[in-house]
Amino acid sequence: MEKAKISLYQLFVLILLFELGSAILVPLAIDAKQDAWLAILSGLIGGLFLFWINYRLFLYYPELAPPEYMQKLLGKIAGTFLAFWYIIFFMYTAARVLRDFGEMLLTFAYLETPLFIVNALLMLVIIYAVSKGIEVVARTGELFFVSIYFLAITGFILIVFSGLIDLNNLKPMLEEGIFPIAKVAFTQTLYFPFGESIVFSMIFPYITKRKSVKKVGLFAIGLSGINLAITMAINIGVLGVDLASRSQFPLLSTIQSIQVAEFLERLDVFFMISMVICIFFKVSIYFYAAVAIAAVIFKIKKPSKLTYPMGMVVLFMSVTIASSYAEHLKEGLEFGTRYVHPFFLVIIPMLLLGIAFIKNRKRSSHQKI
Amino acid sequence: MTMSLFSLSKKMKKLKIQKKPAQQHDLPAKALQSSLQEQIDYIKEKTGNSIDVVIRKLQLGDGKSAAVVFVEGIADSKAINDFLIESIMNKHPVHNSQPIFEILLKEVVALGDVKEITDWDNLYLSLMSGESIILVDGAQKALSASTRGGEHRSIQEPGSQVTVRGPRDGFTESIRTNTALIRRRIQNPDLWLENMKIGSVTKTDVSMMYIKGIAKDEIVEEVRNRLKRIEIDSILESGYIEQLIEDQPFTTFPTLYHTERPDMVAGNLLEGRVAIIVNGTPFVLIAPAVFIQFFQSVEDYYGRADIATALRFLRILIFFISIIAPAAYIAVTTFHQEMIPTQLLVAIAAQRETVPFPALVEALIMEVSFEILREAGVRMPRAVGSAISIVGALVIGQAAVQAGIVSPAMVIIVAITAIANFATPAFAVAISARLIRFGFMFAAATFGFYGIILGVIILAVHLCSLRSFGVPYLTPMAPLIPANLGDTIVRLPMWAQKKRPRLFSDNKENRVGDNQKPQPSQSRGMVNSALEKGDQDEQN
Repeated sequence: MEKAKISLYQLFVLILLFELGSAILVPLAIDAKQDAWLAILSGLIGGLFLFWINYRLFLYYPELAPPEYMQKLLGKIAGTFLAFWYIIFFMYTAARVLRDFGEMLLTFAYLETPLFIVNALLMLVIIYAVSKGIEVVARTGELFFVSIYFLAITGFILIVFSGLIDLNNLKPMLEEGIFPIAKVAFTQTLYFPFGESIVFSMIFPYITKRKSVKKVGLFAIGLSGINLAITMAINIGVLGVDLASRSQFPLLSTIQSIQVAEFLERLDVFFMISMVICIFFKVSIYFYAAVAIAAVIFKIKKPSKLTYPMGMVVLFMSVTIASSYAEHLKEGLEFGTRYVHPFFLVIIPMLLLGIAFIKNRKRSSHQKI
Repeated sequence: MTMSLFSLSKKMKKLKIQKKPAQQHDLPAKALQSSLQEQIDYIKEKTGNSIDVVIRKLQLGDGKSAAVVFVEGIADSKAINDFLIESIMNKHPVHNSQPIFEILLKEVVALGDVKEITDWDNLYLSLMSGESIILVDGAQKALSASTRGGEHRSIQEPGSQVTVRGPRDGFTESIRTNTALIRRRIQNPDLWLENMKIGSVTKTDVSMMYIKGIAKDEIVEEVRNRLKRIEIDSILESGYIEQLIEDQPFTTFPTLYHTERPDMVAGNLLEGRVAIIVNGTPFVLIAPAVFIQFFQSVEDYYGRADIATALRFLRILIFFISIIAPAAYIAVTTFHQEMIPTQLLVAIAAQRETVPFPALVEALIMEVSFEILREAGVRMPRAVGSAISIVGALVIGQAAVQAGIVSPAMVIIVAITAIANFATPAFAVAISARLIRFGFMFAAATFGFYGIILGVIILAVHLCSLRSFGVPYLTPMAPLIPANLGDTIVRLPMWAQKKRPRLFSDNKENRVGDNQKPQPSQSRGMVNSALEKGDQDEQN
């Protein structure tokens, strides 16, 4: 653990940038068709619950980082082993996000550029940022947050004023009842993006005002969920279900269809700006969590020393995890959300909370006697 | 063999540790001799018979010989003549019950600051700083009288940071004048001044000034410690100090502010900052400095708040233009042609048709030739200045376009960048933008807008990682301090700026009283009655 202080506002900004990160780019919950926004909102409720679990664990051990309380709860060996798996999970997810980003950049702007180069450039910037420490990442977040929201609001206004939204595309609501929505919510949106907020349990110990963590965290996740739902509803409203589900990046297609006064058109670059910034924060936070856990369990005093070797691993992983984008997506859906996410994001935290609850109850009852 | 080598290197290390810097001689300072002739000889020997060291021998009342020693030019010769030499000659101090030095001190030397000196080190220090030394035969002491003076530049309007409205005085090369200029603005005993001599050879006076009770104690302590740990032979400008005390040496951004304007220093002291004044330069350092400060001008506070806010937005825009404009042109013409409206694209493509270079080379040619021109313009004597502008207009202008080396659009971009660069109020930031611009141009040439965005992110991370005396460089934006946002890009009116910057100042008192917002209603009744009265007078 490095010496750092994170304010509540910084936590809020980081959570928001992180949650929006890659989720806003992909066709999120499109399996629920025109009700995708409902599926996102129902996934949000589960996501808030998962955040609460991590927050409770943090309350039991406010001074300790997750790998440290894992070691306390499960014993030295098992705890270290589990923490080690979290390093791999975070690095793998960082690599996945990086891959998503690289593929997207190649498809819409840099057709001839090799994936490795695009990923390597972003990864170098991320390594630089993470090696400066979490405080610097948080401050950079504060700086970009305003500009991202400014761009987002401008984009929203432009879409509304160019009269692109057709609300009929969002009808009929609940065409096949509540079941498909619930299925999408609990197999997809619960984990991605809301369940991913587990990385912030690495950042909780830095926060000075602990009491407000719950309020700020839940608010940030709630706001991000609402933003995602609005974005997806707009995407479907503009493109229609068919186009939105066939498009790799529905938000990009939506933005490309903006045309105002024959002057404001082809705004892809603004999309690219906000995308690079959001992905930068998402990968940075995942990567930071991986580095910080490694620093704790291997007892390394300066976590910044780990950033270069581990960053290289993430970079190579991002290129080699799949041989094509289709394979990458299939891996993500069939392996990632089916097995990996439930295990790391839901089962383990609940298990840890259960053990912590029993242990602490025992201890408090002992104290009473 | 290896063992012996090992022990040898160990010895060497020990030796290195033992070897102290030459300036820190802990030997007891050499005491003065008692014979006047010996003293004078010693001074002559030490100063190498320099002719500006004047030794004036005198006769005291009881026949004892004495001497007044001063350095011509840095001592005020009028004061020495009137209050020292003339006084001694007229009064003929006689050695009676009191020792001669007390008589000199009490009755003869008509000057403000007089000290007794017993060792040579202090004597030379006083002598070389412009004080005059009085030596008396048979005494192992000397008197030093403060006669510092001599010629220096009078107070003039500062050459940098010119304003339309605001005081016209600027700092000079004399440290006392400079501190006086600040004191005249803040007439308060809490304005504290600490002096130290830095530079083992030059013994330059360096003062730090702050307002006790407003400046944060930790920052004052930090500045003091950083100044005290300086070991260097010479300080010729405040830039020397700046390089030795800044937080992060590997950055193009300045983490100390420097200014020639006393009103600016006074304003910063009142916010809780510390000023470092160096003898021999009109540039005063201000610590800690934050990024947004470099986009503020003193005039913002003298003019209207709304206009100042608009100007500050303009300056931020200018900064981005001066960094990104050429890079954006390169990115658009090489990678993202689809961004430009078709007609403009056709026009630019037609212009570029004759240009044999890629956009990057074209931009580099123009930027580098502009930098050459600018450097020449700064260094050239004033008499040939007009030649530069004529030749410059040819190089960056019509001739270059007609020769087919660059396109007209590129000329416009370079011109805008250059003007934007000149418009940044603080030279220190403008010059770093000049350098960073080239990095962005290369990034744009290789990866288009993706490169520019990554560059912006690196720039942001770098700025966020900087600190100035422990204060994050981007306060109050990152970390966000809402109470201090009133004087950043936005400037609120004076009556609305209540708090001092939280990170520099411990003082939680409001700067302005409550209900200071001007309200016109009170005077209305008065005006109305005066009008009515006037009407009645006219009717009569």
